[in-house]
Amino acid sequence: MNATSSTVPSVLVLGGGAFGTALAHILATQQRPVRLWVRRPEVAEAINREHCNATYLPGHALAPTLRATADLAEAVPQAQVLLLAIPSRHFRATARAVGDHLQGHQLVVHVTKGLEQESWLRMSQVLAEECCARKIGVLSGPNLADELMRGQPAGALIASNYDEVSLAMQQLFAGSSLRLYRGRDLIGTEVAGAFKNIVALAAGAVDALGLGANAKALLLTRGLSEMARLGVALGGDVMTFGGLAGIGDLMATCTSPLSRNYQVGQRLARGESLAAISAAMPHVAEGVWATRAVHAQARALGLDLSIVSAIHAFLYEGWSLPDVLQRLSSRPSGEELATMPTH
Amino acid sequence: MRGEDKTRVRAQVMDRCVGRWSVSAQACERILEDTLHEERKRLETAPDNALSAAQRARYDALQGVLIRGDAAAQRAALVEVVGAFFDDVVGHFDPRVHALATRLLPVALNGLLRTLSPLRLLDMVVGGSQARLGDQLVLSGHLDDLRALAQRGTIVLTPTHASNLDSVLLGYALHQLGLPPFTYGAGLNLFANPLLGFFMHNLGAYRVDRRKQARLYKDVLKTYAGVSIEQGYHNLFFPGGTRCRSGAVEHKVKLGLLGMGLDAYLHNLRAGRPRPDVFVVPCTLNYQLVLEAETLIRDHLAEQGKSRFIIDDDESTQPKRILDFFTRLFSLESRIHLVIGQPLDVFGNPVTPTGLSLDPRGRVIDRQRYLFIDGVPTSDPQRDAEYTRELGQRITAAWAADTVLQSTQLVSATLWAHLRASNPDLDLYRLLRTGGQGSQVDLVAFYPLLESTLAQCQGLADAGRLRLDPLLRQGDPMAILNDALAHFAVYHTRPALRRRGERLEHVDRHLILYYAHRLRGYDVVPRHVWR
Repeated sequence: MNATSSTVPSVLVLGGGAFGTALAHILATQQRPVRLWVRRPEVAEAINREHCNATYLPGHALAPTLRATADLAEAVPQAQVLLLAIPSRHFRATARAVGDHLQGHQLVVHVTKGLEQESWLRMSQVLAEECCARKIGVLSGPNLADELMRGQPAGALIASNYDEVSLAMQQLFAGSSLRLYRGRDLIGTEVAGAFKNIVALAAGAVDALGLGANAKALLLTRGLSEMARLGVALGGDVMTFGGLAGIGDLMATCTSPLSRNYQVGQRLARGESLAAISAAMPHVAEGVWATRAVHAQARALGLDLSIVSAIHAFLYEGWSLPDVLQRLSSRPSGEELATMPTH
Repeated sequence: MRGEDKTRVRAQVMDRCVGRWSVSAQACERILEDTLHEERKRLETAPDNALSAAQRARYDALQGVLIRGDAAAQRAALVEVVGAFFDDVVGHFDPRVHALATRLLPVALNGLLRTLSPLRLLDMVVGGSQARLGDQLVLSGHLDDLRALAQRGTIVLTPTHASNLDSVLLGYALHQLGLPPFTYGAGLNLFANPLLGFFMHNLGAYRVDRRKQARLYKDVLKTYAGVSIEQGYHNLFFPGGTRCRSGAVEHKVKLGLLGMGLDAYLHNLRAGRPRPDVFVVPCTLNYQLVLEAETLIRDHLAEQGKSRFIIDDDESTQPKRILDFFTRLFSLESRIHLVIGQPLDVFGNPVTPTGLSLDPRGRVIDRQRYLFIDGVPTSDPQRDAEYTRELGQRITAAWAADTVLQSTQLVSATLWAHLRASNPDLDLYRLLRTGGQGSQVDLVAFYPLLESTLAQCQGLADAGRLRLDPLLRQGDPMAILNDALAHFAVYHTRPALRRRGERLEHVDRHLILYYAHRLRGYDVVPRHVWR
């Protein structure tokens, strides 16, 4: 039994990217007290004036009650729940800035699916280093922003060591098209979120090369196995990887053409350079960054993650795609479940 | 505890424990059944004496109430059992004896440990001799902060626990710092010890009978600690529970008692008390030699993970051993380091000497807000358990960083790693038993290994992750080895290792492993050497 607030908490969504905007829109549609913080004042003004986010969600009308702001000092203290939807590269700086105005009663949830580059830290760890928040959670699952904006049904996991966080989030999203399930495994959820973007890069490539459904299923299954091995090595629960944040997110990200990382994988396989793709995309393909962090971390832990190694070789070591495929197929296969973590 | 407070504390403990377990007739009956079951199990092996007979009679009566009594009778039985447990825990306190003990302590420790004669002891007290313990117990760290915060709120001191001497030395150290005695729970066996018992009893200790496994008893213990904090009594918890068996820096803490700091803070806020704050102060005690090392490591190895919970026949129960231990340590001018760590609030945030809580970036925060629900400090057991778990993590991190590495540990760790590397095919137990290939190590080969381990430890010390004894900071491997050998030669039944010409002979490998374990968890030597 735990105590919960008697009122609907007010929310500040931080980050005007596709996912952050979509979450703020859903909450506003549910008549929740929500505001959207964006870094640039002109973007906030545009959202308030035109009720759309032309850069990240073109063609989608936002709930007219949704108000945006660029004033952190004014917005943070007023919110009971902060939802951080900030790319991993900017996460620490934003968390530190938020920390100037944060107090211990506030709940902080992030939706960022990535790891910090240099430190390999998960975003909840970055939060713990940068601000006084303790009641921290992560929301993760198969949540393509475009589908969320259309009001199509979706589900996600809200993981936190604090029931107060997960219960408040369920309360906030109750009745909306986004169904939240509670969990306690912060580590597994964050690892799954970062890792699935790497597999999505490969999935895009597999489809672009026309390798077939069998190959795709092979990639996803073995990718999930590698994801779980890393997660368990870091202290996560193996069961998490069979849930929404694990296989659920993997299925959506690796099969939908709406997925950014999948798109990047497709374009890479067609011969475009990473630099050219990055320059042309407003969105962040977290998988590109995550590959580096996960590859380094796996090596430090003594884990042999062949799919991650192959993608790393292609992205950062100058290997050609045929060489990478050859490398993968020539590996001894062994027993399927021998490398799966035991519960 | 002051006499007038004891009555008030008793009333509050009774009120809370009885209230908690009598929310329904079923809850009351269940807790009484558990108490009856656990207590009868304990009494099966208790010595036959008047006390046991009285307790057996009490539980026979309780059984009658459980079979025939109505809800009111069972509640009355609950009140009686809680009251009896409270009296077991708190015992009989005499303020006059307390005053005498406080006066005796600074000199008596030395006196006690130099001679067992009460006359000699009295002589020293009257003569006011400030013998040498003060020189050998080196206090460092946040001493001023501790003193300052003890004026602003209630302290919960959370030391590492290696030896039954810990609480006595802590009592001495607190006195040196000008602080009043701290309340703490000491095992019943320590009260029976003729040397330690006197001080235990009269320096704020309450009695913990670890044989009593009834939930209700543990609840009374915890509640007593919590209420005493609320009343402003500084407390001393050993969060690791019993003495660490392996010799390693403890990395796990028991959260039940630790959580009473937060509980007291919350009660204080809700009651609007003028000085509501509770500060948690981690602390480490670092010995060159540990009084009970031989027994502790034997217990650790006998059944890893199934250690005896209670040891009542170790070195600390033998006055002669305690005497030998101290006189020989003194003869070497050995140092015992007591490091007071960074004070924390009950959530694990660092606290300034003026009592302000800081976030990880050093910004001042309003700590009571961690307890707010709808703007009011409110209990949430799940949340509060999680806060306490995080506090526990910060305490163990502080312990690791505030551990002072000494020569016996550095030399042992180096030697143990070498033994493991030289005998890769032997498992831990076989290596302990046989010593592997040869019982001696060439000093020419050993010194570079020692230098390498020391260099890694210096790296950790530079990064603030470990502290080094001054001898280790000087960095002369020969002096370090000689210091370790001198220590090993003077106290233990057999030396852990000794010098034979230009070779080093490992004699008691159990002890080598015990002292080596101090570096376990620092990644200075490969992890596999511990398995």
